[in-house]
Amino acid sequence: MSDALLDVRDLVVRYGPATAVDGVSFSLAAGETLALNGPSGCGKSSTALAVLQLRRPSAGEVHFEGRELTSLTERELRPLRPRMQPVFQDPYGSLSPRHRIRDAVAEPLKVQGRWHPADGPARVCGLLDRVGLDPAYGDRLPHELSGGQCQRAGIARALAAGPRLLVLDEPVSSLDPSVRAGVLNLLADLQDDLGLGYLFICHDRTVVRHFADRVIEMRDGRVTSG
Amino acid sequence: MKSPVKNAAGLTRCVGLLAVLGVVGLLPWLSHRDPALTVLRARSAEQEATEEALAAIRADLGLDAGPLSLLGRWSGHLLRGDFGTSWVSGHDVLPSVLAGLQVSLALMGAALGVAVLLAAALVAPVLVRGRGSAGAFAAMPAAVPEFLLAIVVLLVFGVWLGWLPTSGWESAEYLVLPALALGVPAGGLLGRLVADALPAVLEERWVELWRGAGVSRARIAGAALRRVLPPLVPQFGMVAVGLTGGAVAVETVFAVPGIGRTALGAARSQDLPLLQGSVLALLLLGLVAGALAAGVRHRLLGPALRDAGLTLPAARPVRAHPAVPVTLAAVLLLAIGWGLLRDPYTVDTTVRLAAPSWAHPLGTDGLGRDVLARLGHGAAATVGTAAGICLLSLLIALVLGFLPGIGAGAADIANALPPVIVGILVAAATGPGTGGAALAVALISWPALSAHAAALVQEVRASAFLTAQRAIGASPWWILTRHVLPSVAAPVARHALLRLPGIALALASLGFLGLGAQPPAPEWGLLLEESRAYVERAPWAALAPAVALALLAGLAVSGAALTQGRRVRRATSAPARKETPVGA
Repeated sequence: MSDALLDVRDLVVRYGPATAVDGVSFSLAAGETLALNGPSGCGKSSTALAVLQLRRPSAGEVHFEGRELTSLTERELRPLRPRMQPVFQDPYGSLSPRHRIRDAVAEPLKVQGRWHPADGPARVCGLLDRVGLDPAYGDRLPHELSGGQCQRAGIARALAAGPRLLVLDEPVSSLDPSVRAGVLNLLADLQDDLGLGYLFICHDRTVVRHFADRVIEMRDGRVTSG
Repeated sequence: MKSPVKNAAGLTRCVGLLAVLGVVGLLPWLSHRDPALTVLRARSAEQEATEEALAAIRADLGLDAGPLSLLGRWSGHLLRGDFGTSWVSGHDVLPSVLAGLQVSLALMGAALGVAVLLAAALVAPVLVRGRGSAGAFAAMPAAVPEFLLAIVVLLVFGVWLGWLPTSGWESAEYLVLPALALGVPAGGLLGRLVADALPAVLEERWVELWRGAGVSRARIAGAALRRVLPPLVPQFGMVAVGLTGGAVAVETVFAVPGIGRTALGAARSQDLPLLQGSVLALLLLGLVAGALAAGVRHRLLGPALRDAGLTLPAARPVRAHPAVPVTLAAVLLLAIGWGLLRDPYTVDTTVRLAAPSWAHPLGTDGLGRDVLARLGHGAAATVGTAAGICLLSLLIALVLGFLPGIGAGAADIANALPPVIVGILVAAATGPGTGGAALAVALISWPALSAHAAALVQEVRASAFLTAQRAIGASPWWILTRHVLPSVAAPVARHALLRLPGIALALASLGFLGLGAQPPAPEWGLLLEESRAYVERAPWAALAPAVALALLAGLAVSGAALTQGRRVRRATSAPARKETPVGA
């Protein structure tokens, strides 16, 4: 287990009296894709948010690159956050409607103090190119892009943070079937090149079967198989 | 999430009400002026103003006690029904308050009648035509402040046509003009609220169904009204509260011995016990109106209220063409700019009350001062102060936008207080002046902005892109300054800017009542008030500020209509993008 990128043990997430995630455990190696599959409301997305520490779990442990995250304070967590990046379901909602694509992709670099005016713009162009977006789209606002293009911009922003793990929360569910394949192929290519670990949340079994190395089935907040 | 906000709102509401009562009770201490000499003069003109006599009066009034014991004694007396004695007349306060209240209630009743008639006249065309909306004219009466309308109807019907008496309170015909001045703005607002909401309701599917089933148009119209009214009732309550504020101006203009005029007179003569009594009566009127509105709403809705199941479709207000506010602003700016180049203070008694001429384009006033110059300089003062208030309100709103509970409760209190009553209280505490008037208007102008800011903050905080910001390790400060504030500040600032004309009107109404800027300052409300004395000989001196204020009112309405239209457009176009996955 020591070589696992992510190791989750007995994760519990409660919303008031309701328990959304009830003792979920799994682990994930670098370069591996683990799918969390299950019907809507089974606790997949709550698990994703809890792994990312964007919603603090009620109990359990999350080990990421050998560090236990649940015991860290928000301040201690901040420098580690860029190492694990989410990609959300709603491509438009996950980008600020007021910021140009270029600024959104540059923001992780600025937050981490890795932005240099000399090479920054070129790095942003490189990232856009890497996710299959014409760098000219950098001047646009999110609502001027299609859903698929927006999702690619979201992935470019996640890559800009320099992650080892991507938590993909239904990344293609709101996209057209024709666009889906393109985004999934992009994700597969990125994994091959960068050796990223993917925690892939999806309710669509056919997508899961093609894309994931391993599948965990969830129902009512518990793991039922995997 | 919802209940703590509600609890906090309820708490701040109680605290706010107690604070207002506390301010009323502490007025003698807050005003920091020694009324002993005034009281002595009023009580016995011939008595020598020796130090002992003054000290005896201070002890008698309880002015030497601390604020807490003053407050305690005042509320103790109040609970026993003792409102104290007037410092000026030496009579009991309660009988004068009750007499004034009686007159004001009669006036407000008549004004409500006028308001309902006007509202019906505005709504009827929408119901008859079945769709569309009341034209842009329907929006105008709501924006004209009562004091301006009072002057206009007094001029037209009382002075020029001579049909009706202009001042006093003797027979039924004395009631007509004040009721018109008070009722028309209220009726305009009521009618506009209903007429704006009706078209969307008339396009709901049940209307089509009923028509197809052969239900008569009259029954459909009745059902549509019944559908529209309950959600609007709280706003009707606010209109009734507004009547108490408007009554002060209208009663003053027509010399009606009501509670509003009593309060204003008491504030001017520093007769604090009488002021406390009459302000309490006005507050009580406002609270009763609000409670009645809540009761009516409960009665109309019943269980639907608890289930929060009954909401109106988005209202479709009159859309003003952008050219309207732009033209109004251009005319105003031109007159102001021209006036600013002239001298507003030079007194030249050889040209008193001169008619408009090339030397004095808008004529001269009673001291031979140039009206155009005074209008221009007055605008700089009024609009400049209003801009300062807007900025202050904006800052308060942005801070309170992050504390929705406190904001909502305080907003309820501020909504229940007409600006004139706040102005009277502030003027009583600090003395009349531009600063006091500005403070009074600022106190009640931020709540609408902070409600807007709170809604935006909630919306932005709930959005996924803020979660993404946390995920890249952005600090709360980074998120606040780069994402939350920019999304909130810009729309709220636009909103604040649109409220500028309305705030300037509120300032002018305080100036008109003598609670704001003092002579010889060329403030617009004050200009109108000064010109009343010679309005028959020199109507242009009154007309100039009246027209300028009317233009300002038009600007307020058409500007607001512009943003409302934009907000509705955005609301209808947004859902197109939110496609939820099928089968999720």
